[in-house]
Amino acid sequence: MMKNDSIVFHGTLQQMLEKVETGEMVPKLQASHAPMCKFFTAYYVISGIRHVVPLVHGPTGCPLYMSDFVRTRECCEIRGVPLEPTASTVLDESHVIYGGEGKLLEAVKEAYAKYHPDLIVILSCCCSGIIGEDVESIAREAEKLVGCRVLALRSEGFGGDFRSGYEDAFKLIMELMEPPRQKRKGTINILGARWGPTTTEFDMDLDEIERLLDEVGIEVNAVIAGGCTVEELKRAREVELNASWCYDWGQKLGDLMEERFGIPYSKTGQPYGLRATEEWLLGIAQPLRLEEKARTVIERETQQVAPDLAYLKQALEGKTAIIEISEFPGPIRALSLARMAEEFGAHPVVINVHPYTIKERMPSIKFLLETGVNPEIILTRGLFRLGSFRSSKETEDELEVIVREYEDPIFFGNAGRFPPCPVVNLTLMNPAFQPQYGFRGITNIAALVRQALENKDLPRSRLLRGMLYGPRTT
Amino acid sequence: MDPEQPEVPADLVTGLSEKCRDPYLRCAFHGAAQTALGVSGSALLAHSPQGCEYLVNNAFSSQECDYMETITLCTKLCVDEIVHGGEDLLVRTIRQAKELPISALFVLSACGPEIVGDDIVAVCEDLQPEVRFTLIPIECAGFRGSQYDGIDIALDTILRKLVKNDAEKISNSVCLIAPHANANPTWIADLAWVKQVLSQMGIEVVATLTHRTRLSEIANATSAETTLLLSHDAGRRAAEYLQNTYHLESVGDGIPLPIGLTNTQRWLTALGERFDAQSAAEKMIADGEKMVMATCRRKWPMARFFYRTPAAIVADATIGIPLVRFVTEEMEMTPALVALYSSQPSARVLLEGELRDLGLAPKVVYGTDVYETRKSLGEVKPRVIFGSTIERHASEGMGVPYIVEVVRMMRQFRFINREYFGYTGILNLFECVQNEWTLRWRSKEKRYEAKW
Repeated sequence: MMKNDSIVFHGTLQQMLEKVETGEMVPKLQASHAPMCKFFTAYYVISGIRHVVPLVHGPTGCPLYMSDFVRTRECCEIRGVPLEPTASTVLDESHVIYGGEGKLLEAVKEAYAKYHPDLIVILSCCCSGIIGEDVESIAREAEKLVGCRVLALRSEGFGGDFRSGYEDAFKLIMELMEPPRQKRKGTINILGARWGPTTTEFDMDLDEIERLLDEVGIEVNAVIAGGCTVEELKRAREVELNASWCYDWGQKLGDLMEERFGIPYSKTGQPYGLRATEEWLLGIAQPLRLEEKARTVIERETQQVAPDLAYLKQALEGKTAIIEISEFPGPIRALSLARMAEEFGAHPVVINVHPYTIKERMPSIKFLLETGVNPEIILTRGLFRLGSFRSSKETEDELEVIVREYEDPIFFGNAGRFPPCPVVNLTLMNPAFQPQYGFRGITNIAALVRQALENKDLPRSRLLRGMLYGPRTT
Repeated sequence: MDPEQPEVPADLVTGLSEKCRDPYLRCAFHGAAQTALGVSGSALLAHSPQGCEYLVNNAFSSQECDYMETITLCTKLCVDEIVHGGEDLLVRTIRQAKELPISALFVLSACGPEIVGDDIVAVCEDLQPEVRFTLIPIECAGFRGSQYDGIDIALDTILRKLVKNDAEKISNSVCLIAPHANANPTWIADLAWVKQVLSQMGIEVVATLTHRTRLSEIANATSAETTLLLSHDAGRRAAEYLQNTYHLESVGDGIPLPIGLTNTQRWLTALGERFDAQSAAEKMIADGEKMVMATCRRKWPMARFFYRTPAAIVADATIGIPLVRFVTEEMEMTPALVALYSSQPSARVLLEGELRDLGLAPKVVYGTDVYETRKSLGEVKPRVIFGSTIERHASEGMGVPYIVEVVRMMRQFRFINREYFGYTGILNLFECVQNEWTLRWRSKEKRYEAKW
């Protein structure tokens, strides 16, 4: 056990989970740290359906932030999606006092007339939620007056954490799924995508898994909800199997579709590294009776990346892989990476997974534990510090100390950290090294590790360090 | 269009409908946050669910706050606080912030807590003796209006709470109002230009409401002789309050903000006349015009090729109204559509006066939304749009050759803030046009491959 005053927890993921479950560790973020609210994440999922009008029953702040951020920037600018509307009923003080249901009904009719959508989803937010607007009844009433489905989602920002927005939106989407007219052999849905009416936030990862599925001869009916159409959603029950691009986000919908429609769900982790990629692909191919074909593809792909696999084994064997979650793009990815590091002979140590993250991702964390992912975990004081700068600066200082205590360390996170060891820059914000999933991911991660090790003695940027953490005082 | 789909009712096309909007403007909470974050040495506590914190983050960027200096906090209200009230949580959060090295903590309430009746004013009064900094509650729920209403609400609260009644008047001085209600993404450069010309005229800026403004500046704001409103969208209420209560004379009223040669000349002349600095103003005008013309002579802007090209202006009133004259005079285009995000009565009067003066009769839309803009663009069919990334995408398929992103731009990033006000502002706008012109001519593909 490491002796260091700044360490508040040092144990395994399993031990940490127990502390969170028993309440010994409070899974609450400090006041200076705020994740997205339920409304935002519900919007993410809903806007992943083509030709949908998300009709926000509320003032302009909530929809506008999302339409700027998701629709204009992410969808139009990055993913080549046309500008789609984000409609709002623009509730004001008088509606808060007298109610806005009448206006909402008119707004649905108007939205249909203006935008000719395939689907309208009414999203309630704090205002309409608190004053008790019956959005579901309005949706039912409105559906009789327009030529498309009208659904309603209670997505008040106060009504749950970010996770509940995703899950409730995925659940709502199930209402669009019609009884199957046929079973489409060798066809699956990919679940858990979001963020805009096209492929998920990490397009290239999805491209890679779709490429592998195609090689095996597996057809994808819909990526739910990463650019899928209403028609694809209607036929979603015709598939043989559901799979996820990310277990964490697909799990709820996968379980529900299995429970309600009897469609099996392939439960596998993210395809980081060779073993997880094999599991992911076979997890889909085996129930579809395409195992042999999948093994052929895996063998061929493995041969193609053999030099990269050999390099990763040689480079990581015996090292301590320090993986920092608070600065990594997603805790589940970080844990998947820990598994990959172990596969290549490194000892993974995960730094700063906030108890809040454990609580919010409990089912996925438990699933990962079941699959044998139980890395060493260290939490430091800085993780809980008030203020984003203070927290970030303090955790940086602590990281630098911790890294020195391990032999032959290598840091997996992003280049915003400056530990005294090679840094593998796994940010997802650099498309030069995407995808990270699958076989092409292996090649990219090998290239990143090579960059880290071969250039470990090059000077780091004083400029960027000063920008992030202020000028050095010692 | 699908023949089975219903016709769009006429009132939807003419913009009379208010039931279903795809708005350009954020809510009052955002505007209030933008105003509070312009006060240096302070922190902001959003008494709201966690999502509203993202509006605060956006305001944080707009005011160019430094995360080493400015902390934002959020009570992250959940169902419990909505059902039972969130005042206790607010108290606990303020106490957590007790040790922060700040001089003020702005407490902003969002929709949820205001509807359930959380009294942030009472909480702040009760806790004030416990903390070393000043607690400033601002009741600015999103449903109170647009971001411009939020700016007005916040300025009103700040002035009523913080200004001194007995400040001694400083001659030749000014209080700048609402520089942040400006859709130039780097409006801070506009403010810097204003401060520079005021300094050259010997006019002291007593306070800026708000950008990097110390609490002591706000306290002394009433020592200014005059107010100078830097927005056509917000801040008028604050100027009127200071005029009616503390006799600060409002200058520059009725003149578009200084974008383009004529607007800049008029604006500088008005200041020169009020502060007895005519010669300084005349010199600035002469030097500025000379510099712009000499620069253009050396750089040869492609703006000269746009003679009488039909143009649309889609922006806030602060940038949009002055652009009308700039586009007509300096660029020699013909404004065919002016669509403004807001619809303040004073802005309408100003725009209509400008159109009369210029002899223009474009289609005018006040308080436009994205749908209305798209419909108007389809109707007017401009060849150039001065607007944002939204119009770039909203006009897809309409064959508009040039979309000059001057507000809310996503395809350009500015490390160095660039003003639209004043003489360098003219060059900055020309540069935006020039870059768009260059991109328009760039070949999309090569006709054959090189041999090497």
